[in-house]
Amino acid sequence: MNTNNNLYTVIYTSVIVIVVAALLAFVSQSLKSRQDANEKADTISQMLTAAGYASKAELGKLGNTAVLDKYAAEIEKAFVIDLEGNELRTLGIEREGIEVYSPKQLKRQNYNIKGGPNKTGDPELPVFLFKNGRTVVPIYGAGLWGPIWGYISFEKDLGTIGGAYFDHESETAGLGAKIKDDPSFQAEFIGEKADFADANVFDIVKGGAPKDAEGKSVVDNKIDAITGATMTSNGLDAAIDTWLAAYSAWFSANAPKGCDKPCCSGEDHKCEEE
Amino acid sequence: MNAKLKETILNPLFKGNPITVLVLGICSSLAVTVTMKGALVMALSVIVVTGISSLILSLLRKTIPGRVRIIVQLVVVAMMVILVDQILKSFEATYAIDKQLSVYIGLIITNCIVMGRIEAFALGNKPWPSFLDGVANGAGYGLILLIVAFFRELLGSGTLFGIDILNRFGYVPNNLVILPPFALILLGCIVWVQRSIQKDLQEK
Repeated sequence: MNTNNNLYTVIYTSVIVIVVAALLAFVSQSLKSRQDANEKADTISQMLTAAGYASKAELGKLGNTAVLDKYAAEIEKAFVIDLEGNELRTLGIEREGIEVYSPKQLKRQNYNIKGGPNKTGDPELPVFLFKNGRTVVPIYGAGLWGPIWGYISFEKDLGTIGGAYFDHESETAGLGAKIKDDPSFQAEFIGEKADFADANVFDIVKGGAPKDAEGKSVVDNKIDAITGATMTSNGLDAAIDTWLAAYSAWFSANAPKGCDKPCCSGEDHKCEEE
Repeated sequence: MNAKLKETILNPLFKGNPITVLVLGICSSLAVTVTMKGALVMALSVIVVTGISSLILSLLRKTIPGRVRIIVQLVVVAMMVILVDQILKSFEATYAIDKQLSVYIGLIITNCIVMGRIEAFALGNKPWPSFLDGVANGAGYGLILLIVAFFRELLGSGTLFGIDILNRFGYVPNNLVILPPFALILLGCIVWVQRSIQKDLQEK
């Protein structure tokens, strides 16, 4: 057979390409539900980590089913707000109908917040209230090599940070990837305050945040950047500023007034622990 | 098993190792060797991709039109790479590792070992030896990956497979080891060792 014939070449390549495309489409479709389930469980475990229920590693060992069970048991309320802080709709929190925002959805909302040619509508931002009193909100932005995103939880005063978890697609392992892999970086956020009145709601400072003699950060909304990961640190800083600024209307409207302790809530300004 | 088949399997592991002797697949060996786990999953993925694409293309070898053979090879290799990536993403156990390796699984397609072995071996040999050749070359690649990852994870993070080894003794992880240049230095050392054992590789 003459395999160098033009007609043969065209038919051969067409057949190969069609067969391969059909196979890949079939595999992709049949595995999609499993992949989505994995991604959803991963997202949920990131939120639970930020809300302070367990470390990401512990949640990773639990498996998907247990993570979803835990979320359904611990979530108080989840809803979507607009830039003015108005509640648009609620998100499912029942075990069988849990709704969270995947990184892809966060990306879309990131375009909507920032505007520009990729904007598809007005921002719809998710808020997650957990039974331990913490409020979790996502952030999303650009790192050095690809997108970075994460979740920050706030105490009842809606100003003090209770925990944070960050994830990335392709930051440098050992440097930028520390936003995800280094628990001590994420721990730096705990106890800091987001300053919604400032244009820089939160700062990740190169060269070190101001500290007292005991090494504790003295300015509430500043923490140290990661050595050797300036671009990732700057990207994370910008992502946090952009997203928290978008939430600021809701935060100022719902924060308890005249209250200076992280644990206080409601009208009487009393801490439940006291 | 006859001697020729045995040679096909053993040669890529040491004497004709794709990384240290043929100097193929250097790029990804710098990128994915920060942790043992990552290197292991990468090695297994490459073994599957090289093995099965060599097998498929060896089966098709008499029908492939000569002028578009590279394109046909690419289509088959790309298909295998996407399949591996999709399958890794679908299981709870491998999802996290796939996320960690991110683009590098997809970049197996640009790994010269895959195309190199198909061009040099699979298109001229029967399916079974081609399959073995693919697997063995993937394994030779994986072997070097694991050796490099062993040193990089141990010295760079103080752990092996994520288990703390050196940190408990107050070891301060070395950041240089984590950066790609150190992998190149380590690879250089491995090539040096191999060349001093295998005198026939030394240039006169």
